[in-house]
Amino acid sequence: TQHNTRGLPQGRQPENRKHAVIGFLLTLPFPVRPTHTPTSFLVMAVFTQHGSIRRNMASDRAASQATRFDFLVIGGGSGGLAGARRASELGAATAVIESHKLGGTCVNVGCVPKKVMWNAAVHAEYLHDHSDYGFDTGNVRFSWETLKAKRDAYVSHLNRIYRNNLDKAKIQTIQGHARFTNDPEPTVEVDGRKYTAPHILIATGGLPSVLSDAEIPGANLGITSDGFFELETLPKRTVIVGAGYIAVEMAGILSTLGSKTSLIIRQTGVLRNFDSLISANCTKELQNTGIDLWKNSQVKSVCKSEKGLEVTIVTKDPEKKNDEEKTSTIQEVDCLLWAIGRQPNISGLNIGGVDTDERGHIIVDEFQNTSRPGIYAVGDVCGKALLTPVAIAAGRKLAHRLFEGKKDSKLDYSCIPTVVFSHPPIGTVGLTEEEAIKSRGKENVKIYKTSFTPMYHAITSRKSQCIMKLVCVGKEEKVVGLHMQGLGCDEMLQGFSVAIKMGATKADFDKTIAIHPTSSEEFVTMR
Amino acid sequence: HNFSFFLSFFLFLGGKYDYDLVVIGGGSGGLACSKEAAQFGQKVAVLDYVDPTVKGKIKIWGLGGTCVNVGCIPKKLIHQAALFGTALKDAKKYGWQISEPVCHDWATMMEGVQNHVRSLNWGHRVQLQDKKVKYLNFKGSLVDEHTVKGLTKAGKETILTAKNIVIVTGGRPKYPTNIPGAVEHGITSDDMFWLKKSPGKTLVVGASYVALECAGFLTGIGLDTTVMVRSIALRGFDQQMAGLVTDYMETYGTKFAWKCVPKRVDKLSSGALQVTWTDTQTGGEHQDTYDSVLWAVGRAPETKALGLDKLGVKLNQETGKIVLATDESTSVPNIYALGDIGEGRPELTPTAIKAGKLLARRLAGQSAELMNYDNVPTTVFTPLEYGCVGLSEEEAEKRHGKDNIEVYHAFYKPLEFTVAERDASQCYIKVVCKRFGDQTILGLHFTGPNAGEVMQGFAMGFQCGATYSHLSQTVGIHPTCAEEVVKVNITKHSGLDATVTGC
Repeated sequence: TQHNTRGLPQGRQPENRKHAVIGFLLTLPFPVRPTHTPTSFLVMAVFTQHGSIRRNMASDRAASQATRFDFLVIGGGSGGLAGARRASELGAATAVIESHKLGGTCVNVGCVPKKVMWNAAVHAEYLHDHSDYGFDTGNVRFSWETLKAKRDAYVSHLNRIYRNNLDKAKIQTIQGHARFTNDPEPTVEVDGRKYTAPHILIATGGLPSVLSDAEIPGANLGITSDGFFELETLPKRTVIVGAGYIAVEMAGILSTLGSKTSLIIRQTGVLRNFDSLISANCTKELQNTGIDLWKNSQVKSVCKSEKGLEVTIVTKDPEKKNDEEKTSTIQEVDCLLWAIGRQPNISGLNIGGVDTDERGHIIVDEFQNTSRPGIYAVGDVCGKALLTPVAIAAGRKLAHRLFEGKKDSKLDYSCIPTVVFSHPPIGTVGLTEEEAIKSRGKENVKIYKTSFTPMYHAITSRKSQCIMKLVCVGKEEKVVGLHMQGLGCDEMLQGFSVAIKMGATKADFDKTIAIHPTSSEEFVTMR
Repeated sequence: HNFSFFLSFFLFLGGKYDYDLVVIGGGSGGLACSKEAAQFGQKVAVLDYVDPTVKGKIKIWGLGGTCVNVGCIPKKLIHQAALFGTALKDAKKYGWQISEPVCHDWATMMEGVQNHVRSLNWGHRVQLQDKKVKYLNFKGSLVDEHTVKGLTKAGKETILTAKNIVIVTGGRPKYPTNIPGAVEHGITSDDMFWLKKSPGKTLVVGASYVALECAGFLTGIGLDTTVMVRSIALRGFDQQMAGLVTDYMETYGTKFAWKCVPKRVDKLSSGALQVTWTDTQTGGEHQDTYDSVLWAVGRAPETKALGLDKLGVKLNQETGKIVLATDESTSVPNIYALGDIGEGRPELTPTAIKAGKLLARRLAGQSAELMNYDNVPTTVFTPLEYGCVGLSEEEAEKRHGKDNIEVYHAFYKPLEFTVAERDASQCYIKVVCKRFGDQTILGLHFTGPNAGEVMQGFAMGFQCGATYSHLSQTVGIHPTCAEEVVKVNITKHSGLDATVTGC
């Protein structure tokens, strides 16, 4: 088959489209809950009614005849857009299929609006410290409404930028929900129209996991992180369920902005897959900042009363075998947020021919190849390192491999730095102490640690600690892990992650001259 | 004198001195050197003494030297206060309703700053005690290569003998010599950090990093501030970056009198200071009144009282600093020097500390490792912070040739600026690389929030010999400012727009 769209004169689009997004509502992967997510329902309804109708000048073709591209990307999020743009730069005729807003999780319901909220919360912390630094700020009130309006405006602005970028790159945007057909050649269908390409990339991302009412009665009275971004007012009383980074971030933001927040975790600490120092410290910091932490606890049921939700929780310390299970209820809850994990967004895709794991993640090799030739996947849908920059890098590497002939172009998944926007933020890269001991043996692992009060707090009555840890292995003390929590750790990590990826040793840390006065200098002056 | 000479000769024969090491100067370098030496079992004494400033705003300060008392520490804390001035404006955009007007109280801030400084002074004292280093509040001078004379405030003399002597007396701000009224009516940064009252409307003369940092924090806490610049800002730093730093300050509200030189300072009957200056471009003369005039025209080494000339310790004629070999030795045996007083040494706390520790280890026979003064990162804490490591673009061009370097750059917008509706025109990253081969990084420059925290890790990558591909192969951390460094992909040669769009 020929790539008959390559080199088409500018302005001529390879197909004719007229479609609405009716598919969107039908393929929602979780039940719509008008009672608790009125906004999302409204937005979807309006979206459906108006649809996104576009026509162009090319002639109609038979619906059965597939429109052909060099590269077809399903999902207009971080990974899909990066891959599409790079492919297009390399000369490939490219199309992106998106059922919702461009930018995916990161821009719409992830990193970007999350960090805006975190920034707002950081201002709340600053306001506590202002008087210590000589500013008399008097009475301060917070308007969630103002913040949400500005945040939404910024996200819409980014959505527009993404669309413009695609237009500038002459990438076709196809609005709608993609579904693989049963054609022998990999083909997808969007609103009754077929599209095909020798290379199809699945970058549909993920969704917050939800529990059904059958699992926990009343579970669907709660929202997820997606719903958090639709909240029109600051909840007075919040219950968050989960111990992962999303639960930690949401709890930190809501609590700092003034919502009375309870966090329900199944075991005794949050961030259990992080280094134990970070897990323990973050758990402590959450409590220090006033979050009501429920350890060894699970939600048993949720019901609705006139005054809000009643969340019933069972608590049982597994260490105290003789203790009775304790049942308690948190009353008058106006925001119950499930942050119990994320799942791949594959419903309705009909990817029968592509292997997935037991949780539905698409299985790919190191080159992002799926089990079906011509179909690739990047990003959260693969379930590995759910991070925007990872998806972007993987998408770009793939484009270079497919359209520039760079056979070895693939992403190295080792040493990926991550930041959790907790209060204070966490930065981590490489192996935890536990992982290093497991893989190299306790005798080959050397740990360097420090903790201190950052100078920022030298004159504030509010205090927080900064903790740091280096995990080194072998005689040469190669640094295989770096973990920290404290003010500024979010901006500290990137540079160190370059050095660690280069194979830096403890001696290299020691050789580096400090920058004074910073917190990050503690890493190069550690003993 | 003769007696002490005889004494030290005698002690030399007997192989016995009062101390293994006497350190003159209890600043960053001196404390690090003395503690490290004590750690290796050496018998150590530190002499520390502070002359009051010309203006007498402060009589004396405690252990810790410039950094702790009149440098890095108070500077960064006041910089933090100034950042709050901006944070308050941003907070409103983030939905915080704050009743106007917000006032800043200098005295409250300074009380906090000084309490912290005093706690550090005390901390240093305790550390010396713990490490068994003898602390002496003496003004030290050299008698011979093994003998130091200590003078107390009351005028009492003590003679100390030592196997080795380290001079770490640092420097103090200079006053201009030929401007009438400059010394009588002006202050320096030494005074600035201990002012009990707000300096009010201030003229800062000079454009070094000290001048710009002071002007920046004064502007940030709401004071009317003008910087008078004779030639260029941040000499020695990358000039494109320097331009961005001062551009940001201008939009931030700091006034600049470019290409102007002060002529005289007069005190009016109201108490206000009238400054007369010349615009060197037009030749015109101008006048304005200020509450304070801050001289930030450079720093001079504290060598006067040391008696270096008598011993023949070689000084640089122009700068007055001590000429040092790579092992910090002076022209006189057994006498060493480090820190700000050393000719050609960076005037930075971390280099003094590191050099001090390494010298102590060498003197104690523990190691032969020399201090490496290359690859020193630094950060200027102006309202828009600027961090860098390695060569400026100009210097890279000079050393390697314009056609042999590749400059990757990006204008980025910090996410925290977006909702706050702040202009990000000066947030910029520049990675200067060799153009061919593996594109080794020659210099890395960053303006933006938290530049100090961003730069440290990259300085380490730089120390490890990072290339452009090491940067681009590192996965970013989203959404941060630091990730923009590993995302740079537009070269200056390409002429393409370097503005970052989207994630």
